[in-house]
Amino acid sequence: MSDQNRSAESPPPPQEFGDATPARGFGALVLRRFLRNRMAMVSLFLVLLLWLGTVVAIGLGPLPGLWKHDYSTLYPQHAGGRATLSLLPVWLGGEGIGLGEHPFGQSRIGQDYFAMTMRGIQNSVFVMVVIGGAGTVVGTVIGAIAGYYRGWVDAVLMRMTDVFIVIPTLVIGAVVGRTAGGLGIWFLAVLLALISWMPVARLVRAEFLSLREREFVEAARVGGAGNARIIAVHILPNAVGVVIVSGTLLAASAILLETALSYLGYGVQPPEVSLGRLISDNQSAFATRPWLYWWPAVFIVGLALLVNFVGDGLRNAFDPRQHRFRLRRTPGTRGGGRASSRAAAPPATEPENRSER
Amino acid sequence: MLAGLAAGALALSACSTDDGGGGAAGSRSITIAATNPLTSLNSNNSEGNLVENGMVQFLTNQSSSFGYGSFHILDENFVLDPQEQIGSVEQLSEDPLRVRYTLAEDLEWSNGEPITNIDMLFAWLVNSGWADDAELDADSGEVTGGTVYFALAGSTTGLDTTDMPELGDDGRSLTLTYAEPYVDWELVNPIDLPAHVMADEVDMTLEELETFIREIPRGDPAAPAQVNAPLRAIADFWNTGYSGNEMPEDERLTVASGPFKVVDMVPMQSVTLQKNDRYPGADDIQFDELVIRFIGDANAQITALRNEEVDAIYPQASADTLTALEDLDVTILTGDEVGYDHLDLNFASEPFRDRDTREAFLRTVPRQQILDSIVKPVNPDAEVLNSQIFVPENAPYAESTARNGYDAFTEPDLDRARELLGGATPTVKILYNNENPNRVDSFQAIKNSAEQAGFVIEDGGSPDWSQLLSAGDYDASIFGWSMPGIGSASLPQLFTVGGGGNYNNYSNAEVETLVDESQRSLDPARVEEIKVLIDTATATDRFGLPLFQLPGIFAHNDRVVGIEYFGGQQNIIRNAPEWSLSAQ
Amino acid sequence: MVSFLVRRLIVSVLILLAASFIMFVLAANSGDPLQDLRTTNAPNREQLIAQRSEVLRLDLPVPLRWANWLGGATGCLVPGAQLCDLGRTISGSAVLTVLPTAMSSTVVLVTGATVFAVILGVLVGVITALRQNTPFDLGVTLFSFFLYSLPSFLIAVLLKEFIAIRFNDFLVAGGRLSPGMVLGVGAVFGGAVALFSRGTRRRRWALFAIAAAASAATLGGLSLSGWFVDPGLGPVGLGLGVLGTAAVTVLLMDAWRGRLRWVTGGAALAGLLGCLLVQGALERGSWPIIFGVVFGFLGAGILGGFLAGGQERATAARIGGVVLTAAGLLAVVDRFIREWPAYVANPRVSGRPIATVGSETPGLTGDLWTVGMDRFTHLLLPTMALMLISFAAYTRYSRAGMLEVLDQDYIRTARAKGLPERTVIARHALRNTLIPVATIVATDIGSLLGGAVIAEHVFAIPGMGQLFNTSHRLVDLNPIMGYFLVIAIMAITFNILADLAYAALDPRVRVRG
Repeated sequence: MSDQNRSAESPPPPQEFGDATPARGFGALVLRRFLRNRMAMVSLFLVLLLWLGTVVAIGLGPLPGLWKHDYSTLYPQHAGGRATLSLLPVWLGGEGIGLGEHPFGQSRIGQDYFAMTMRGIQNSVFVMVVIGGAGTVVGTVIGAIAGYYRGWVDAVLMRMTDVFIVIPTLVIGAVVGRTAGGLGIWFLAVLLALISWMPVARLVRAEFLSLREREFVEAARVGGAGNARIIAVHILPNAVGVVIVSGTLLAASAILLETALSYLGYGVQPPEVSLGRLISDNQSAFATRPWLYWWPAVFIVGLALLVNFVGDGLRNAFDPRQHRFRLRRTPGTRGGGRASSRAAAPPATEPENRSER
Repeated sequence: MLAGLAAGALALSACSTDDGGGGAAGSRSITIAATNPLTSLNSNNSEGNLVENGMVQFLTNQSSSFGYGSFHILDENFVLDPQEQIGSVEQLSEDPLRVRYTLAEDLEWSNGEPITNIDMLFAWLVNSGWADDAELDADSGEVTGGTVYFALAGSTTGLDTTDMPELGDDGRSLTLTYAEPYVDWELVNPIDLPAHVMADEVDMTLEELETFIREIPRGDPAAPAQVNAPLRAIADFWNTGYSGNEMPEDERLTVASGPFKVVDMVPMQSVTLQKNDRYPGADDIQFDELVIRFIGDANAQITALRNEEVDAIYPQASADTLTALEDLDVTILTGDEVGYDHLDLNFASEPFRDRDTREAFLRTVPRQQILDSIVKPVNPDAEVLNSQIFVPENAPYAESTARNGYDAFTEPDLDRARELLGGATPTVKILYNNENPNRVDSFQAIKNSAEQAGFVIEDGGSPDWSQLLSAGDYDASIFGWSMPGIGSASLPQLFTVGGGGNYNNYSNAEVETLVDESQRSLDPARVEEIKVLIDTATATDRFGLPLFQLPGIFAHNDRVVGIEYFGGQQNIIRNAPEWSLSAQ
Repeated sequence: MVSFLVRRLIVSVLILLAASFIMFVLAANSGDPLQDLRTTNAPNREQLIAQRSEVLRLDLPVPLRWANWLGGATGCLVPGAQLCDLGRTISGSAVLTVLPTAMSSTVVLVTGATVFAVILGVLVGVITALRQNTPFDLGVTLFSFFLYSLPSFLIAVLLKEFIAIRFNDFLVAGGRLSPGMVLGVGAVFGGAVALFSRGTRRRRWALFAIAAAASAATLGGLSLSGWFVDPGLGPVGLGLGVLGTAAVTVLLMDAWRGRLRWVTGGAALAGLLGCLLVQGALERGSWPIIFGVVFGFLGAGILGGFLAGGQERATAARIGGVVLTAAGLLAVVDRFIREWPAYVANPRVSGRPIATVGSETPGLTGDLWTVGMDRFTHLLLPTMALMLISFAAYTRYSRAGMLEVLDQDYIRTARAKGLPERTVIARHALRNTLIPVATIVATDIGSLLGGAVIAEHVFAIPGMGQLFNTSHRLVDLNPIMGYFLVIAIMAITFNILADLAYAALDPRVRVRG
């Protein structure tokens, strides 16, 4: 509970009071730490590469892609719909390295499965980014207001958070997904974001509760800054670590949430595709036409893994004493908050960010 | 420590089961998997009207007018198969239509009570709606006054014109007299749940129940009477007393007339049926116990079959299901289901008021391609369905297809479509269930083809398609009908103005007359002729296109012998009493 | 304390109210409960639709229907009075009768998964923290990230394929491992040990050889003696188990000194003898006998330790109690394992014990051991599927926690005092690592309940998740809300418990009224 304890683990406070930006040194430090984390860097690079790859292959919106097929047109069955991708060179007894007509095979009515998988990656990444982004924004706003104003505002907002957290994400996601699935992927992603912001809100609130007691906030207030300005300009930049990290982990769990929902049939609805949808549609192909099952599965696991690595790297970058617990609950007690507030779960963000699978 | 926890977890897991006797009865037992769990032991009321409930009651009694414990079942060609050991049916006269039902001698319910014509009287009371005096709102079907006693899943049509039946003095026969001819009179099956159980429910003897029923006046919606309290109690018991997924403590609920009786139910898991030794054909049944396990996921069913947890399955059919099963050492049976998917055109919509546009659109539908990609992988012998009324198992199918001209629409004819459109590019919104992969794929195929002819296709896919179906905000719809495979009662639903299933606002005076005639005709040949005429007339009106019959797959291991494919509602268990265990 | 609880409860009820409203409205708007009726061409379609509309009160606006539901549910708060009414399902079963049966499977599933995930997760997490930055640590970290990113239905399908089908095939084929398999497992095990250890390359190679040979020999011996077909702990297994428990106890309590050595040794010996003695009594499975054995051992251990402990009788009694209870439990487990051949041979099981669907074999009857074994073979895979996912989180959490704790001043103090490393870890570090893990259990329960929806679907377990999923498909509100009530109350209870546990474990947190 002590402030000594606290300050040892938080980003160092900015040196110049009233300055709009946190110390540049800190940002640079974080960036350097992150850049030095090879695993996270490689992961981030791979995620971006994968996404760019899909854009190059099948285009995005009005942008045309290079790949000869698109994901919704039906093509005549080629080689019985089998995957034509060949990675074994001829001298190893294979058919030579080549893509063939339909590298990942064809769906049963003849759509090109490679294009569908690429489209699925785009949509899954889209859902992930929207849930991660919108969820983080909503969570940050609620957490910031609650943590800054404390008192009844805090109580109301946190009880509201509790209301949403009482229902497992997958369950409320299934209910929401069923409503939204048919209305398009945008709608689905935004609605899912509206039910997954809670962990972010709790962590941001905890951070705000602590930061608002700092001297630089007091100084800004004395300097005549309004509440909104203090929140946005003085505290938020200092809480940016928590925001980014919890947002990234939220995004990682969002991929699995979308997958799980689609698996149960409540997510993205055809003819639109997503990785989860593809797996769900081709479950029974598991043993018989494995390429229909395993390609999307590989991409789901890969994406989730990479985003998790990025999140982990970011966390380490923001909190150099990596993987550390802060063995204390919320500092809010000091300010009259409830000692037992659940919002004070340890800030290592994993469990709260997990989607139920 | 770990060991302790293991024991602890075990203790937790075992505490809900009680000790029982030895369990070596498994050797003459057959286990099959079904998709949905049992919810009720009475499938004939509106709550219990689910396929799985019906399958159980088909074996124990009678469900949707078929059952081994009643007068008839369907054979593999959807033809009535009389159950002589239960009783016989005899048409006494045509005008007025009089039919006599006679039970076989010495029939007993599974609890030893005799099966008599009072049981038939009760079945008639339930299915005729005799006492109902409710006034129904014509549009919504809601009750606006009076009482509906038995909440039937089926319809009272036909029996509602009968008079109070005459009971034979031998206690085994009952005669029905119809005020109007009724086309489906042969499907009437006056055996239902046991009358003595109902009598018991209201503390009457069987004789008192008989007198009580005989004294009930015919309900008159114009002058609703006071609610008849004992009848209300009986009806409530019939309506809701059999619902539930746990083994009932009340033994009356499992009294059976058929070859099997329910002896155990584990909620959402399984139901166990045991041979009913009082069934007249019991000695011919070669096994003692039938267990139906509920496994929702098709792949889980296949794994369970592979792991020998079940002996037979009928999973949702797909090419992958079939291939997965082919890799196992099991027998696979494929065929068609009676339900079929079809494309309907909304006659009230802007583009399709015009017959030429309708025809142009239908000309673009690649029915063969849809069949090839959806059905053929499962059932290589499948052919495009060419009738809105018959399935190929029905004898008149051949004649009807020869006349209705659907076969000209097997392959798309884009040139003809363009010609008919004359350069117009109508926008067509297609409604379908986008949670059903078959419909999604049909839609994709139709869209691809129709756009080449100049149509602009709007994707109307929605999980709420069923609500949207009656709202009419679409130009075409793809959905499926589930059919009983026999009978003519659905004709007015589909093809007359105001019919409950006429979502596409079809209207043709000539067809109306034909439908009307069909419902009152007693001559099977004439009924079939009328149906062929209707099939042809609707086809000529470019009503829409039948697409395909859903494929079905059964698979069983070599423990079981005698399973036959059946695409109707009774599904895999249609010939269950004929199964046997292979000698191993 | 009391006023804290009261306040929490009042707030919880309000939260529950609001959440139930949200859930009800969302679920009611998620689909059409009349869908199946609209597409039937039954002649009395309208009437069927009207009947169901009336039963479900579809004529009322959604908030009113919620109020209706709430009215019935509030009745459940009055104990004794028969007012409780959670409505009926579309097919007419009372939700109140459907819920308890559904709960039993899910509670076992979630409890089992949590218990095993916590134990294994903390164990592996602590070990990797102690061996930070070894290849072993890196491997486990990567593996847990991998598990963490794996959709649970994928895990489930793989488990079915490799544990159920392949293992059953293996049993049917005679239950003998191939030499290649034995050597392979030995090599993997040896490799893990070698990577785990610290020291020179040479030492590692030696360790690899020893561990690989030992494990391959054990496995080969078990395989040749037909152990997989007719398993049991046997006197050797029991002896190792009891001695192991004694060793761990001594380590944790730091009791390898003076008289306590003799007490521990005596307890181990007595436990082993006791195990062999009660075997006959355990033949018949019944709860009184099992409880009698376990508590008898517990009592005997405490009493013996107390009497023999001399000045340190309190510690001695604890040691005696722990060691003998472990012995009693081992005896029970041994008896349970010995049920295996009879269970496998049961005609209803017909040689393929590990099940892929359901939570019990229909029609199987027998004593506690048989039924217990049946439950075990059915719930093994779904529990594993759920566990593997949580396991990853617990591993990462306890690893992080341990590293954090090891860096604390009081650990340095303890080391500076000259305490042996194992005492420092066992007595000081471990306990403090466990504190935050306790609170994570609460949040994890929520995700496990969500995960159960999928696991129960894939394994056809008739639990709460399955109830939710099937009801949700039909837009059947009453069972959905019944499901909601149970999980929401569970979530709230666990959170209150976590707060209390936190307060109890961590003296720095006070619960204020």
